[in-house]
Amino acid sequence: MALAASARTRPHYGGTLRIEIQGDAWAPDSLARRLVLNTLTDLSDSGTAQPALAIAWSAQNNDQRWDFQLRPQVRFHDGTPLTAEDVVVSLTSACAVPMGSAAASGAPAVACPWNAVYVAGPSEVVITTPAPQPDLPELLAQTRFSVSKQDDTGQLEGTGPFRVAGFSGGALTLAANDDCWQGRPFLDSVEIFTHRAIRDQWLDLSVGRADVVQIPPEMLGQAQQQHLDILVSQPLDLLALTLDAQGSFADPAMRQAAALAVDRASLYNVIFQKQGEITASLLPEPLSGYSFLFSTDRDLMRARTLRGGAPARPITMSADPGGGTLQLAAERLALNLDEAGFAVQMAPPGTPSTLDLRIVHLDEASPLAALDEMLTRLGQTVTVNGTDPHALWLAERTALQNYTVVPLLWLPRAWAVGERVRDLRLSPHGEPQLADASLEAAR
Amino acid sequence: MERARYNPPQQMNFRARLLVAAAALAFLLPGALAANWEQPSADLARQIAALAGPGPVQLTVENRSSLSPNEIPLIRRMLERDLRGYGVLVGDSGSATTIRVTLSQNAQGGLWVAEVREGTETRVAMVPVRLDLPADAAAGPNLTLQRTVLVTEPDPVLDAQVLSAPGQQFLLVLEPARILVYTQSTTLPATAGVAVIAHWTEAQILAIPYDRAFPRDMRGRMIAAQDHPFDVYLPGMECRGTGNLLQLALTCSDSDDPWPITTTQKAFYNSARDYFTGVLVPGFGMELAPFYEAAEIPRAVGPATLLNDVNGPPLLVVNNQLEPVNGAGDWGSDVAALHSACGTGTQLVVSASGTAAAGDTLRAYEIAGREAIPVSAPLQVQGTVMALWPAHDGTEAMAIVRRQDSNAYEVWSVAANCN
Repeated sequence: MALAASARTRPHYGGTLRIEIQGDAWAPDSLARRLVLNTLTDLSDSGTAQPALAIAWSAQNNDQRWDFQLRPQVRFHDGTPLTAEDVVVSLTSACAVPMGSAAASGAPAVACPWNAVYVAGPSEVVITTPAPQPDLPELLAQTRFSVSKQDDTGQLEGTGPFRVAGFSGGALTLAANDDCWQGRPFLDSVEIFTHRAIRDQWLDLSVGRADVVQIPPEMLGQAQQQHLDILVSQPLDLLALTLDAQGSFADPAMRQAAALAVDRASLYNVIFQKQGEITASLLPEPLSGYSFLFSTDRDLMRARTLRGGAPARPITMSADPGGGTLQLAAERLALNLDEAGFAVQMAPPGTPSTLDLRIVHLDEASPLAALDEMLTRLGQTVTVNGTDPHALWLAERTALQNYTVVPLLWLPRAWAVGERVRDLRLSPHGEPQLADASLEAAR
Repeated sequence: MERARYNPPQQMNFRARLLVAAAALAFLLPGALAANWEQPSADLARQIAALAGPGPVQLTVENRSSLSPNEIPLIRRMLERDLRGYGVLVGDSGSATTIRVTLSQNAQGGLWVAEVREGTETRVAMVPVRLDLPADAAAGPNLTLQRTVLVTEPDPVLDAQVLSAPGQQFLLVLEPARILVYTQSTTLPATAGVAVIAHWTEAQILAIPYDRAFPRDMRGRMIAAQDHPFDVYLPGMECRGTGNLLQLALTCSDSDDPWPITTTQKAFYNSARDYFTGVLVPGFGMELAPFYEAAEIPRAVGPATLLNDVNGPPLLVVNNQLEPVNGAGDWGSDVAALHSACGTGTQLVVSASGTAAAGDTLRAYEIAGREAIPVSAPLQVQGTVMALWPAHDGTEAMAIVRRQDSNAYEVWSVAANCN
């Protein structure tokens, strides 16, 4: 991943960093959650689990019983100690909370990968899974498995490097946690300004009112032309078409026809301004190394042949809520499908439809855990039999042969960084690691 | 300087540590890269042969990885040779069996993928491959900075020192929660700009009872002592190594005592931050601002002390006068003095500024009056300099480098060779 270009010296302590985002500060997978809450594990840059609130773990019973030892002397922001009971309550409640776009659309929760979580000692939590889960430590690094508790006033308390200090004027203020088990962050505070339009964010960055702002992938080229300092993640968001295997698409041949009709190249070139990676795979190429094995070629002739002379019954299609770009992409895909003989009617964003254009975020950074995550998020029930690249490829091929998911593009996450920010890196999740950043002091 | 994540160590067994050392060694040797392809080539050929069976095939090799195009013909020849060993003969353009080998890459390293096509059927074989690259010395106008990678550790390292006992050398590596003691078991001859490659074998681990949260940018110092093997200084704690180097013990206690920073001065360290407070013992009779590092520079009129200030340019204390150093605008925060036979005899090795994407650099300077004069070319660092302290005997600097590619911590000794 890229790093901000700046003079490198030891980080300075102090200051308030201002960051602006389009969305909600406290949404699932959000930046604020990662700053305030911790998970049992974190991901290294290579995607393997490393200790966070858990300092050690071991597996028994063919990776179906996992024993996690909790880090001693960790305290919530209100000063109360972290207990095994807190972890159990958090993990149990995580399975009842919808994640990602499901949360916005009111869809049911994604199942947790375990069947029981219980306290096995003062600093010991045991998780049992119904099937071997060798990547459970990596999966537990996802924000939906964050550990938190509510204090007596109902406020959410975490153990992370920042605590919630207040919300006013459209900004969530986080203050440094002096007693953080990871060490006090270098910044005194972070202000997260929410629901800011991209153009307003860039204007604020240019006049020094913001230190970190978002760059949608399709605007990366524009940001480069403006010579902004940019941090770009690996591809982390999968643009995918999901097909409801009922009604018009009950026949797998019809789904395959739709998959062959999509024109990824035009999405890439026109809508997303040549950013990201054309794909037909559930994992990005830099992660798997084998995604080129899944063909991304459009084959309109074969699509028409597969569809045959069946009467064109209207098919509804919608895009995830999230702005005009997705809607444009959906409309272009509708044209592609029309060319193959499908009659597509656009539905309002977020409306459950036969065809949904979705952005699916990838949290995991190791191939096995990432594939598990994507299969879960996309509702696929394929089992991965092994941990080597060949086993992952076989599982992915099996999942994609149903043609209920058509991967289209892998897109990066990008941020522009102001001049006074130092040592800012992106996490494997694509979020700025503000706890490790500092602000430039005059020298 | 980039932040470090200080999690308690995940135990790495002795064999794994040896493998890391051996792997690091392999990457320093010329020709090692070519040898790296032997095993994956053999593995992939075996898998291809199992899918295709003996007979004539067409083979294409495509590179989608960071491998140099120059290496592809070599890899192809290896594959052809290994396939021939299984009776799979490459070259027949009329063969119904085609094999497309893609040299790909993923988060873990290289991935070589073979697609074996017979008719409409395609079967796939894959082999993970290690990738790496070396870079060791930087020549400059007056001297060449030469690094030697002593060991590579998976966990954060704060300092390291090479100490001697009769007939044997010991490498002590300071981590936040332990000290690793290595003995020197073999020495390999000089190659490719690397002066000496020592092979260190882990002999002992001393636990440090550090029972508080590690600061985010934790620092620590290990210094050889007169009447016992060494002292260790950590934020809020001091430890003493006792016994002898063959059988060490460690006693630690909470302490805010000042850390030795030069042969004559000690400085109080801010345990909640990452710098010295500016209060020195015995001091210079003046108020000093917080600083990251200090270095002593011998001069005819008495030693000058350079303080790498937290908030401003480096300062030089000469005859109890404070003077800013010119020409140090691109210095980083870490500096260590070393003594050599080159130039004035004392150089400062400095972690220099630079773009993070390109990695840090180390560069040697001499201080002439108040001017910092570069006397070596920048030595490129494939990562971030996390710490830089003088070596025990003063002729080298010990640098701790966090690798950009693997996040592993390398312990370097850095010496100055005259041009």
